[in-house]
Amino acid sequence: MNDARKLDRTDRVICLVLCLGYVALLLSTVKNLGYARDEGFYFQAARSYESWFELLGKDFQLALEPSVIDRYWGVNHEHPALMKSLFAFSHHYFFEVFRIFREEGTAYRFPGMVLSALGVVVTYAWGKRALGRAAGLVAALSLAFMPRVFYNAHLDCFDTPVMTMLLITSYAFARSLEAGPAWAIATGVLYGLLLDTKHNAWLLPAAFIAHFLLSRGAHAIRELRAGRVAIPSALFAMGLISPLVFYVGWPWIWHDTARRIADYVAFHLGHEYYNMEFLGQTYWKPPMPRLYAWVMTLGTVPAITLILFALGLAVSALRRVPKWRRLVLPLAATESKHDESTPLLWLLCLLICYAPWWSDQTPIFGGTKHWITAYPFLCLFAGRGFAVAVEHVRTLIPWRRVAPFTAQGLAACVLVGPFCMTLHSHPWGLSFYTPLVGGAPGAASLGLNRTFWGYTTGAVEDFIDQHAPPHASIYVHDTALQSWDMMHADGRVREDLRGSLSIPGSALALYHHEPHMHRVEYEIWIDYGHDAPADVGTFDGVPVVWVYQR
Amino acid sequence: MRKRTAFSGDVAGSGALMGRARYLWLLLPIAGLVELGAFVHDARSAPRLDEWQAVRGEVAKLKGPGDLVVVAPEWTDPLAREAFGDALMPIANEARADDSPYARAIEVSELSASAPEFARWPTEETRDVGRFRLRVHRNPEPAKVLFSFLDHVRPQFLAVHEGATDERACQFTAHAAVTAGGLHGHLAFPRERFNCGGEEFFVGVTILDDQNYRPRRCIWAHPRGTSVLRLNFSEVTIGRQIHGYAGLSYFLFRDGLHGPTLLTARVNGEEVGRYLHHDELGWHGFDFDTSRFAGQIANVEFDVHSDDPSDRQFCFYADTR
Repeated sequence: MNDARKLDRTDRVICLVLCLGYVALLLSTVKNLGYARDEGFYFQAARSYESWFELLGKDFQLALEPSVIDRYWGVNHEHPALMKSLFAFSHHYFFEVFRIFREEGTAYRFPGMVLSALGVVVTYAWGKRALGRAAGLVAALSLAFMPRVFYNAHLDCFDTPVMTMLLITSYAFARSLEAGPAWAIATGVLYGLLLDTKHNAWLLPAAFIAHFLLSRGAHAIRELRAGRVAIPSALFAMGLISPLVFYVGWPWIWHDTARRIADYVAFHLGHEYYNMEFLGQTYWKPPMPRLYAWVMTLGTVPAITLILFALGLAVSALRRVPKWRRLVLPLAATESKHDESTPLLWLLCLLICYAPWWSDQTPIFGGTKHWITAYPFLCLFAGRGFAVAVEHVRTLIPWRRVAPFTAQGLAACVLVGPFCMTLHSHPWGLSFYTPLVGGAPGAASLGLNRTFWGYTTGAVEDFIDQHAPPHASIYVHDTALQSWDMMHADGRVREDLRGSLSIPGSALALYHHEPHMHRVEYEIWIDYGHDAPADVGTFDGVPVVWVYQR
Repeated sequence: MRKRTAFSGDVAGSGALMGRARYLWLLLPIAGLVELGAFVHDARSAPRLDEWQAVRGEVAKLKGPGDLVVVAPEWTDPLAREAFGDALMPIANEARADDSPYARAIEVSELSASAPEFARWPTEETRDVGRFRLRVHRNPEPAKVLFSFLDHVRPQFLAVHEGATDERACQFTAHAAVTAGGLHGHLAFPRERFNCGGEEFFVGVTILDDQNYRPRRCIWAHPRGTSVLRLNFSEVTIGRQIHGYAGLSYFLFRDGLHGPTLLTARVNGEEVGRYLHHDELGWHGFDFDTSRFAGQIANVEFDVHSDDPSDRQFCFYADTR
């Protein structure tokens, strides 16, 4: 990588602006986003972990006793602890101690927002180093303004955090190939943290090994024949440091380690199949549709980002074929051979992020969040496509004064759509679909999932507040009671109202639409004696959540 | 080589695509703007609640007694129910067993959609109101229902017993506590029911989810263990057939892990048909020939039985026609 690509002061300023700007945008839009089902479980876990940290401060010995660890860390032990620990710290310091946030839920969500912003920043940094500043910015903003990424970036969940951690680890690995041991050690530490974030981490080493074999395999074999080992030091670091970091970061596995790790792995390899609607059919058991990940990507990522991605991918592929490289895209004299291995790493990382959904045995219940880790790499290719397009479009502009602004103009054209779509999608992130499938109405007609996780209770909170009788019980349907309680704690619903999972006895009943859940709606009809909702929460005219009044 | 600027990308050099083809690059910014335009269009394409409310009057004018109001695309149904109210879209119509008894259907459609189930019904009238198209479809062969068992789950017409030999009567109540199982639990248990003892052992009208998760009103008839549950309807006007459907909540029983359930029908004590229902079929139809009793007022017995003693949350619809 040539020196021109190093991050300079301007880049550092851009990184800071991207980070602060994205966090500010997320904070400014968090208020009307209801709490997703899983957030409720992670609130509960974070509270438990927070209590343990308090105990650790008071009675160190007691806190480390296995039975005590189990009591506090047994909550939600199907996921590792890094993010839930950060949620706990954020809640403790930013809500309990310093009162930076007025809402408890926002304090829990804050670490996820920061990590999401960090993902945008690292996408920029990597894009800048590999492609140039404009391309880096387009890559970063394309990621920031993917509607599904924007939705997940608000949450007290692990999905955008694991996206960022996987990206950062890959970045560190790439840097380790060109720099000294510090980046290799960093890769080891970061991969440990990635393991502590979510199980998406498991396949990443395969991408690194494949990258090593494809980019340096021949050289490594020659070295091996000469009696030297030429394996990247980062891979050693990942083998030595990462397990330690993983272990230290998750108290649940401090004892009975082998069995608990085995249970953890088994839980995710044999995960239950929840229901998911796709093209008019509800899937609840294998075989799952192999097209799911691809179609959902096409339907939810702005098409212009996908076009740039395809262009970037094509450019990267063509560059590896000398005949076509000269014909179509001459290699810049300043680019080192190593530059070609970076897109290869992006591609391998992207492919391993999608890899589980090549199997028809892999659950699909989480929708796009399953492979959200691929999106930074998709955007980096989009950045490359953008960079190529700028060079070509510039030659077509006849006006000398305008030509220097080609990049800015083109960037505006390719970013304005994603920007508008993303802001418009809020707070209905999971209901958003791109024009490729006709937007939300088109997707509903195609039978694509409109919502899950019960988070859209936030969209009808005003109706609930205004229409519920005093001290009423509200049937919250798919919203976890912990999530409802957080709305309560945050003052988003009236203090006298009680969330309930029982339809009889409720005064208002919510229904979050998924086809397999319709039966709940029919139960409401029988109990309430009518079928006319009192309020329907819609996104672009498409019903997503509705409320029945007794 | 081209001089690099702060905004330059990684590819230097002139466009290698020569001639007019190089102008294809201009499609990229155009694509970005076209997508933005398409997004704005899509976001505004579907009518909002106030438009649904505005069309209510027209729909009410078109709807005669016994007509069905349907919407297209199907996903607009909640908005229609909110705007029209259950006077125009009552539960009985929403959760109908099938469309066959309806003489006419008023279709309210948006986005150029149409309800496929009425494609074969001739269209009598088409009217554009706002962004909606109203179509009046006429059923070419409406079924004449003589007696709907579903509408007669009351002590005047029905007696319920458990056991084929040692019969125990199930008592009717109009004031049972409604219970509902939520997503993973049982269907709603209605206020009016013939209690046979034990919460799920009763006969009453509820709604199940069929294989498309659509609502179907039906008579809940859960046999206890392997014993027979007998429903005895009196003063039934008999036609040429007993037409019906049976099912269990598809969501709960779609895996087909249980044994089948048998429904047997008798007219004046004489068997007219048997239907063996497998859970994974969802909402599945049956027809029993009763032409030899046509025109009579008779007793009709339904026996529900399964050799599988657990979770036979059987529910059926039947009429004479």
